[in-house]
Amino acid sequence: MNSAAFVVLAFMLGAYVLLDGFDLGIAAIAPLIGRTDGEREAAMRAIGPFWSGNEVWLIAAGGALFALFPRAYASSFSGFYLPFMIVLWLLMFRGIAMELRGQLPTKVWRDFWDFAFTASSALLILLFGVALGNLIRGVPLDVDGYFVGSFGFLLNPYALLVGLTAVAVLALHGATFALMRIDGTPAGRAQALLPTLVAISLLGVLACTVSSLAIRWDDPPALWTVGLPVIALVALALVVRFARAGRGREAFLASSGLIVAIFGAAAATLYPMLLPGFHGSPGIGIFDAAPSPVALASAIGAVIVGVLAVCIYGTVVLLPRFREKVSVRLNP
Amino acid sequence: MFFMDVAMADRLQFAFTIMFHYLFPIGTMGLAPFIAWFTWRGAKGDAEAARAAAFWTKIFAINFAAGVVTGIPMEFQFGTNWAAFSAKTGGVIGQPLAMEGAFAFFLESIFLGILLYGKDRVSPKMHALSALLVAAGAWLSGYFIVATDAWMQHPVGYTFGEHGRIEMANLWAVLSSPFAIWQYLHVMTGALLAGAFLIAGVGAYYLLSDRDLAIGRRFVRAGVIVGTICAVLAVFPTGDRNGADVTAYQPIKLAAMEGLFDTTRGAPLAILGMPSARDKALLDPVFVPDLLSFLAYGNARANVNGLRAYATELWPPVELTYYAYHVMVGLGTIFIAIGGLSLLFLIWGRRLYASRWLLWLLLLSIPFPYIANEAGWTVTEVGRQPWIVYGLMRTVEGASPTVSSGETLFTLIGFLGMYFVLGTLFLFLTLRAIGDGPGVAHE
Repeated sequence: MNSAAFVVLAFMLGAYVLLDGFDLGIAAIAPLIGRTDGEREAAMRAIGPFWSGNEVWLIAAGGALFALFPRAYASSFSGFYLPFMIVLWLLMFRGIAMELRGQLPTKVWRDFWDFAFTASSALLILLFGVALGNLIRGVPLDVDGYFVGSFGFLLNPYALLVGLTAVAVLALHGATFALMRIDGTPAGRAQALLPTLVAISLLGVLACTVSSLAIRWDDPPALWTVGLPVIALVALALVVRFARAGRGREAFLASSGLIVAIFGAAAATLYPMLLPGFHGSPGIGIFDAAPSPVALASAIGAVIVGVLAVCIYGTVVLLPRFREKVSVRLNP
Repeated sequence: MFFMDVAMADRLQFAFTIMFHYLFPIGTMGLAPFIAWFTWRGAKGDAEAARAAAFWTKIFAINFAAGVVTGIPMEFQFGTNWAAFSAKTGGVIGQPLAMEGAFAFFLESIFLGILLYGKDRVSPKMHALSALLVAAGAWLSGYFIVATDAWMQHPVGYTFGEHGRIEMANLWAVLSSPFAIWQYLHVMTGALLAGAFLIAGVGAYYLLSDRDLAIGRRFVRAGVIVGTICAVLAVFPTGDRNGADVTAYQPIKLAAMEGLFDTTRGAPLAILGMPSARDKALLDPVFVPDLLSFLAYGNARANVNGLRAYATELWPPVELTYYAYHVMVGLGTIFIAIGGLSLLFLIWGRRLYASRWLLWLLLLSIPFPYIANEAGWTVTEVGRQPWIVYGLMRTVEGASPTVSSGETLFTLIGFLGMYFVLGTLFLFLTLRAIGDGPGVAHE
């Protein structure tokens, strides 16, 4: 049952990375694919109906973590206090940027909010990547399970490598989304940008895989997980192929496969821990952190019902909207 | 080295972020039933009701978005600032909170999506049903949150696990606690009252501006009728029953609310007066003899324990609890007066629509139910101190052991800045929507 809870949680976080990934990613490359006011506005409109719904997955995963593994929730959220607050503010600031951009027609005003939109999104991806890197590397915890390191400890080379790779991969994901959903010049620029993004992502994924294995040499993940990096490489190849042919939807599906493979590999490496210790310090696993079996069962039930409802809604109501193309307006 | 202890800094941050956040759920929970009603009338062919529904849905959506954005820090803070509390009681309070997210919040956001974007895609019946489900989601959401709070006020259905942790023994007992039910009804009455006064006030604004007259009258009518009913229900039975629970389970809170220091047989009800915890007395009181005994126990000669009957370390902050309570009750009385007067002028040959002074009064009343709601929650939460879970865990024991007061104050200042921008944006968007009026079709 504790493993089921882990799977549910990983599914929710994976859905978050997959979905918010494309709107964070398109924001990170917005100045590259949109040179004019109208083109950048089109990039924002492309994610307009989706981004807030995508962020709901993060909120839901946070709530699920609280219900499923209260001890892991308590020690991670309080241990990484400032990074969590920074993430919160960046998420808010990003929403504010999108909302305020269109309110005034002046160039400086819009340039400022465009910059804020891109910078906050890119920083968010970097922070999420750094967080993931530290989870895999392990963090020093005291006997009560509270983090005892500093902010500086979290910014180690390995975590930064994972963070930068995350930026590259999600930028790629955003670019395939732009290719699929925007008409005209921005889509062309996204297409032109994709080979570079694929090359950087490839380097990043390889470097991450090798260094992860090196870091977890004593405690390697199960053998079947070897398939996941292979899937990632295939997905990268498919992205290149579909992007060259200008087939946006297929390219987007391929980059989605890439993200599922990478996130799946990370989750499989972590299992059965939630917050592994660093160099022998005790960690928090799926059995230490869970509430009583009755509570865990009812929490799993509740979360699954909620997740199913959203999945049905997403396929019925939101998926058709993916196919509508957004075109560049002359005077937004 | 410390100028403020950690738990105090955490409390300040939680108080500020929750009070700011709660402004928006008041709007969504208070407006949702009206929207469901207008949408249903609209589906039956009433074109004006359909415009009213579209107009209030737009304002609802702004409230909803602001509520989500400010709700995330609430969910985070249980872990970031109150880790010891979450680790000890997470097995219980994690449940209703997860259900809030899984059932209610998803229900509300999913059908809000259909309500906003699906008008041309779904049948009018389905559209009206979506409005009803949005309201159900908003109200269910409120229930799970209040049930969580009610458990912290009066813990039931739990057992002690290993390491002194508190684990769930009976989820149903937590969800169906009588304390939760009356508190919930009182909270929802308050939210609906605020929504009604908002609708009446906006209608009054249109009538005073000599525009959108027909729909403006409809807003005034709907708001005044529902608002007056809620103003009465807020006192009796919901406020009264909620008070009875406090009397039974939290007598110290009751004494602080009433500023009663000495245990008294035939205790008077203080209408005015300034309590002083230092002097242990209510200064310059104006009171009605025997009334408190009667209200609390249904017997004018009943004995009511004063604060002096308890050790001072068990006292909540007396002055704050007392003032918040008196602000809530005082405003509640005024709402009955304004509502009753408006209702009278409405029934009496529709004189209300031409009585500019009364319309002005309705317009200026808009913020006050919000203040009364916030004051009521202040009584509930500040009055619970020094406990975070009444009788089980003290607030000072709940704070995160790894976070310092300076860190919390720093992030509190960050929230102040961020919420200033957010509040300005919210007001701008809402006022623009009201300025555009119900005549403009929404996007």
